[in-house]
Amino acid sequence: MTATDTMPEAAARRSWAEWLDGHSGRIMVLPAVVVLLCFAIFPLIISAYLALSRFALASGGFTLKFIGLLNFRKLLVGSQQYHLLGKFGTFGFVQWALLALIAAALLFLLARYLWRGRPTIAGMVGRLLATATAMALAVLALATMAPGGVPGTVVNTLLYVFVGVSVQFALGLGLALLCGQPIRGRNFFRVLFFIPLMVTPVGIAYTFRMLADMQKGPFAPLVRAFGISEWSWATEAWSARLMVLVGDTWQWTPFMFIVLLAAIENQPRDQVEAARLDGANGFQIFRDITWPAIAPIAATVVLIRLIEAFKIIDLPNVLTGGGPGLATESMTLHSFISWRTQDLGGSAAVGYMLLLISTIVCVSFFNFVVRPARRFEA
Amino acid sequence: MRVTLSDIYKSFGAVEVVKGLDLEIEDGEFLVLLGPSGCGKTTALRMVAGLESVSSGRVLIGDRDVTHVLPKYRDVAMVFQSYALYPHMTVAENIAYPLKLRGVPRTERDASVRSAAVKVHLEEFLDRYPRQLSGGQRQRIALARAMVRRPSVFLMDEPLSNLDAKLRGHMRSELKRLQADLGVTTIYVTHDQIEAMTLAHRVAIMNRGVVQQIATPRQIYDDPANLFVAGFIGSPPMNFLQGELVQGAFACAEGRFATSVAESRKKVTAGLRPEDCRVTGASEGKIAARVYAVELMGDHTLITCQFGGATVTVKADKSAHYDMDEPIGITFHDTAVFLFDSETGTRIGGRGRREAAA
Amino acid sequence: MSAEPRSLARRLFEPASIDSQAPVTKIVTYALLFLWALVVVIPLYWVLITSFKGPGEVDNGPFYLPFVDFAPSLQAWDFMLVQNYTLRPYMNSVVVALASTLLAVLIGSLAAYALVRIRFQVKLAAVAIFLILLTAIIVAVATFGVRWEIAIAVAAALFIIALFTLVGRTKLAVGNNDIEFWMISNRIMPPIVAVLPIYVMFQQMRLLDTQVALIATYTAINLPIVVWLTRDFFAGIPLDLEESAQLDGASKFRVFFTIALPLVRSGLVATFLLVLILAWNEYLLALFLSNADAQTMPVLVSAQNTTRGPQWWNMSVLITVMIAPVIVISSILQKHIARGLLVGAVKG
Ligand SMILES: Nc1ncnc2c1ncn2[C@@H]1O[C@H](COP(=O)(O)OP(=O)(O)OP(=O)(O)O)[C@@H](O)[C@H]1O
Ligand SMILES: [Mg+2]
Repeated sequence: MTATDTMPEAAARRSWAEWLDGHSGRIMVLPAVVVLLCFAIFPLIISAYLALSRFALASGGFTLKFIGLLNFRKLLVGSQQYHLLGKFGTFGFVQWALLALIAAALLFLLARYLWRGRPTIAGMVGRLLATATAMALAVLALATMAPGGVPGTVVNTLLYVFVGVSVQFALGLGLALLCGQPIRGRNFFRVLFFIPLMVTPVGIAYTFRMLADMQKGPFAPLVRAFGISEWSWATEAWSARLMVLVGDTWQWTPFMFIVLLAAIENQPRDQVEAARLDGANGFQIFRDITWPAIAPIAATVVLIRLIEAFKIIDLPNVLTGGGPGLATESMTLHSFISWRTQDLGGSAAVGYMLLLISTIVCVSFFNFVVRPARRFEA
Repeated sequence: MRVTLSDIYKSFGAVEVVKGLDLEIEDGEFLVLLGPSGCGKTTALRMVAGLESVSSGRVLIGDRDVTHVLPKYRDVAMVFQSYALYPHMTVAENIAYPLKLRGVPRTERDASVRSAAVKVHLEEFLDRYPRQLSGGQRQRIALARAMVRRPSVFLMDEPLSNLDAKLRGHMRSELKRLQADLGVTTIYVTHDQIEAMTLAHRVAIMNRGVVQQIATPRQIYDDPANLFVAGFIGSPPMNFLQGELVQGAFACAEGRFATSVAESRKKVTAGLRPEDCRVTGASEGKIAARVYAVELMGDHTLITCQFGGATVTVKADKSAHYDMDEPIGITFHDTAVFLFDSETGTRIGGRGRREAAA
Repeated sequence: MSAEPRSLARRLFEPASIDSQAPVTKIVTYALLFLWALVVVIPLYWVLITSFKGPGEVDNGPFYLPFVDFAPSLQAWDFMLVQNYTLRPYMNSVVVALASTLLAVLIGSLAAYALVRIRFQVKLAAVAIFLILLTAIIVAVATFGVRWEIAIAVAAALFIIALFTLVGRTKLAVGNNDIEFWMISNRIMPPIVAVLPIYVMFQQMRLLDTQVALIATYTAINLPIVVWLTRDFFAGIPLDLEESAQLDGASKFRVFFTIALPLVRSGLVATFLLVLILAWNEYLLALFLSNADAQTMPVLVSAQNTTRGPQWWNMSVLITVMIAPVIVISSILQKHIARGLLVGAVKG
């Protein structure tokens, strides 16, 4: 017998509270699920539908006509092929050699999986898919960058992703190692180096346009001293791409730097000391102790950057407007431009291609790099 | 190899952690640094290893001044308090790592790793990773890694602290045997007095960064240099009574008894080891007291007696039986009384004990 | 004190003592760090001084030092901030970034906590039916012109019926890890794929070009990051703390708000800041979803490319006012960020 028995109001309140507590798990997850359904799943399905339709403005609205895979056909083999994939050049000796090298490396990895690990069906399918994608992208990149070829937006995006992220990682790791030493002023450098991460990419684009201005920029006298005055980086494909990469690297190196520095500072001190007593020099300590200790974190930051790098748009859009020609246009920008020209189907199809590529790359990276890197974690 | 520390000071910022450390460790000697937590033992050890710079003073290994020499050129091996095993290397790779760094050829390396592993009974775990092993096994890998390259000095920082009591006892004897076989000078840090007493050739007792006494375990026990050492060594700890010395007799508020020191002095602390006291009939003892608590320990009985405001613990026979509040007497030999200056803590009239024991 | 003689190479390449550095290492380290410091500072410096220039100083430039080779003026600042009413986009940015970040952190950490602490089992069949019905609604509305209210009502009814009849008979279920993975993997989705439907959705709801639209969308795109980072913070809390609170009679919500959240404060600060920066700098979605009323700073900055070419001095003012507050906040809380990201990154 408790007092609440005689107080129906209190009982009602208690049972309401109990119900709430009993279902608290679902209630906690629900908002997140609803938000993601509304802003991710639902739009994705609509986009899929759009990608399979032709959109046209009609009097007083618009019409959507289901056309199957025609949008994708247009992009891959039709009138938009030049835009998305680029123009294929002729394969020379260098291209064949590189391709053979890549193919050999991929096959070696597959073979190693078969011999060494315990192959499973899912593991095999995933690896075959990743290998096929890697091979296709490699062929595409080599062919369009060969003499006579012109890279399309896919190759541009891959360039930003792979070259950009590698450079950022290398720089970030280097700076973190420098800053991880017991030196004076490391806090100053840490705070300073962090700043570019917070600058809006649009602002970075304009800033680098100012800096790279051949007439009025701060380096103009220097460049003039070398006798170059008429040339502009914006008129040539590779210099324009380089500019985008420089801006992206300026912004994102700090991210790698800050996380890797924290990882380096966080590594067990006694392991380093033990190695030092065992007679290891600086490089050996890095190779045998520090690198294995930070590898899981390194793999994870690279994954985070990969995910974000595929979405690049603001920098090329403002810095070069995608030009000259298509030289700096990323897939997101491509999709955006299609949207602006009322080609909603095409825009959605490009978006889906990007989604496909970035999902395969990121999931493969997660499964084949990040996971193995974490296997020593307690 | 001889290790000499002369007049070592170490401060972290404004805090002085080690103050004037002087130690001379003979070739092949097993020296234990013993002291309460935070007294600077680890810091002292790390300075020998070269992992910490000294603020002033000199460190010599053999005849070589290594004060400013980098750790890797000192040829010392250390077992860390936390083992410091490399988590991504197998046991074999861990043990082999120092040899690998020295460019020892593979076959030779494998043989050394195997023999080191056999010494610590880990030969069947060579292919495992540290995280797959128990604390005691990890401890032994750390030992094997230190042993494998025959350094000129071993440094061990509480290597047995994480083991259970039984394994600790076992490893203690193993360690003593290993050190004797290898004949390598060893500095061993611990705060466990049993470890110190059983392992050491000589014990150095530290408190607040200052060495209190360096002597063999027997001397430390029989002839403590000061109040701190006397209180730190012995289990259960020594009983202390505050009073004064009047013509060779110790007097306090609760009574008086004779000692072997013929002096008069104010502010004196008398120390009595529980194992030097005996319980007698109420009227026969040097001190009259009442039983406060009786604890049966198995092979002996601890009797806590109330003696005015003070308590005195007596270690008695396992068959001793007393009731609470039973009036008893406590008796002891005159020479069993240690006397200390209450203010400075120094011993009054030491070295009289050996003959008394005879 | 007789130190051991050392060879020249050793003296150059090895430190004299354990807590110093070798001379060569030291010089190289500082040289490289200062070099990168220049790389970081020069663009920022140039933006800052350009904001104090006028057309004359820029076009006849380059001029490097204010007061020395040009006379700084506040003209551009006056023009952008006072005459041109930049305050509105600025307030939009502040409101949108803060509100969306708060929401994302709240919703995301609630979900992350529940996924770490409470076991979930969702029948695969329910998920499949839901997705099929969703697709059916879209097809019905888009191709057959069914009114969307009706389509949704019918689908909801069908779903509930299916839930009570079919779903109970199936076995396959998704668990916590799958839900978590799904939530986090949403971040892989490029916003450009989702932005068109979101645009249409807000158009239908007449919310286009409002702060609400931006806040909702930003909350959604940053949610995966919050879940990703915070779940590891929560997983790191010792379970007994929460269990003892539960025994004391606290409900799960109460445990979350009074025990779990305060314990992961430092991590939450890091997450909050990271998400805030992302929302503050976001460009693509704002470009689609805002026009005049809800325009945010990145869009305003990018719109400066006038027909006469960008007016660098005005642009620099905008960039400066945009980055100044973030730099100040983040520099203060910078330690938290590194630590928070580290925890998130280690276990991911
Ligand atoms: N790097 C450091 N910076 C500042 N103070 C330190 C540092 N290392 C140690 N100390 C201080 O020096 C004192 C001695 O530390 P040390 O580690 O030598 O103690 P210890 O005798 O090994 O103790 P324990 O038995 O607990 O291991 C402690 O008070 C500690 O706080
Ligand atoms: Mg210690």
